[in-house]
Amino acid sequence: MYDLIAEMWSFAFMRRAFVATTVLSASVAPVGAFLVLRRLSLAGEAMAHAITPGIVIGFVTAGLSVMSLLVGGLIAGVGVAILTAFLARRTILRSDASLASLYLIALAVGIFILSAAGSAVPLKSFLFGSILGIDDASMVLVGGVATVTLLAFAVLLRPLIVSTCDPVFFETQTRGPWLVDQGFMLLLVLNLLAAFKTLGTLMAVGLMILPATAARYWASTITGQLILGFLFALSSCWIGLTLSYLFPDTPSGPAIVLVAGGFFLFSAIFGPLGFGRRMRKPSVSKDIPIAQIQQEERAQ
Amino acid sequence: MSDRIQRSGAGRGGSGVVGAFVARDLRGDLMSAVLQIRDLTLGYRDLTLFHRLSMDIAAGTTLAVLGANGSGKSTFVKMLLGLMDPLSGSLIWPQGRPRDIGYLAQMTEFDRRFPIRVRDLAAMGAWRGFGYRTGLDAAARDRMAAALDEAGVLDIADRPLHMLSGGQLQRALFARVIMQDAPLILLDEPFAAVDQSTEAHLLSIIRRWRDEGRAVVLVVHDLSSVLDYCSHALLLGGQEATHGPVNDVLTPDRLVAQGYLSESQASWMFRGTHSTAEHANV
Repeated sequence: MYDLIAEMWSFAFMRRAFVATTVLSASVAPVGAFLVLRRLSLAGEAMAHAITPGIVIGFVTAGLSVMSLLVGGLIAGVGVAILTAFLARRTILRSDASLASLYLIALAVGIFILSAAGSAVPLKSFLFGSILGIDDASMVLVGGVATVTLLAFAVLLRPLIVSTCDPVFFETQTRGPWLVDQGFMLLLVLNLLAAFKTLGTLMAVGLMILPATAARYWASTITGQLILGFLFALSSCWIGLTLSYLFPDTPSGPAIVLVAGGFFLFSAIFGPLGFGRRMRKPSVSKDIPIAQIQQEERAQ
Repeated sequence: MSDRIQRSGAGRGGSGVVGAFVARDLRGDLMSAVLQIRDLTLGYRDLTLFHRLSMDIAAGTTLAVLGANGSGKSTFVKMLLGLMDPLSGSLIWPQGRPRDIGYLAQMTEFDRRFPIRVRDLAAMGAWRGFGYRTGLDAAARDRMAAALDEAGVLDIADRPLHMLSGGQLQRALFARVIMQDAPLILLDEPFAAVDQSTEAHLLSIIRRWRDEGRAVVLVVHDLSSVLDYCSHALLLGGQEATHGPVNDVLTPDRLVAQGYLSESQASWMFRGTHSTAEHANV
């Protein structure tokens, strides 16, 4: 075992992958936490699909460079985000239905172009990521996105918390509530692009959502949620990369997300806000059980 | 009966008449107006809720807003908050638009699973005063302790929201409004989901606000003792808006004319009062 890890560590591409995913974890963890808290977990997945045509068009026209990935993905992602907001505001559709419609169109466009472009495209690594694909430029992309994300969160954290906790109240507090919404969507798209090389388009959201939902079972405060989410994400990456190395034909994306899924299941069973509460001795506290909240929410 | 037809007829002809009466009524009032509403018509593109309302919201008064579902109570509050524009008319803020308007939305809109504690929720009322890196200063912390204490949630200040009952959450949200420290406070059906003792407790906070010279606008969902705490009422319905002292507006005739009560409901609720005799004659 130890030999295997020492051997793994001797490869530059593995060391590179560990560094990249460590930085990536710090970047995607807060984005994932707020995706979950803002009830946008599925919107995150949809957005990951929505950026596909941008990446594909960038790839077909300019090759698999970081620049083409970034430009194409940003245009597609921001375009879909703005169109979604526009449809939700001006038509009867809610934002989830608007986004679903748009991402399906975008995904179909992406796959269509990808197929038309022929077999030159490494489809598997495209969809599921590859640790071999992390070159210097990708490292710069991940580092750049992480820097932007963490700086943005330093500035946006309080407005983001208020707008997530009570959007109606937040609207009364500021002239431009959409700035926070769209700013967050932009961060989401950037992080999806940063995660693309390691995780692929299908798995990119996995590293955001699963550590965040796992942390949700333990944390009663935002700070706890953010820190724990990061630790889960980081552990998932390290263990996942090791697995991916041990089983040479497995893509890195599913390996990492599978480990994150393990953390999620563990947390759901043992976490104090999951089933764990029930497994402790029955208490005489006056806490309101989750079941009662659910009951009241149904009643409304 | 003839009296009712006449009054509702006049109102339909132009609620401005009612508004003008009210404006005159308030002119002698020493209380300064926090907000003057002039010729306000409120509604959406294909739906006018009411026409040409003119009224003042004075400091130290409590205004009850009543109306049937869909009469525009919440829309009125949203308009006051600046979240939507009126179809016509204007809002004049004699002392300038307040930096912050106290606001409490209907509680059903609140996500109780959000992972923060009671004290963080209350602190949110003053979040714009925080620096990007610094939280509450010592003075604000004292103010928050006082707010939590007044709202009756100081002993559960460190509890996460998902452990609160409906009444406790509403108290915590009141603490947030206290932290907002605003000259104008809008409360949208604050007692819809709380028990009587909580309601009494929260009403005492509203009375303090009034005594401090703040203006409180209270959307209420039914005729109840809450109205005893209100000096003025705004009745919406039937594309009309009627404003004035509570006892002048909430008469059985008005309430029926604007579709808030049916005639039988009105005669039951106001039985034993002067107007029952009229109804009995009919």
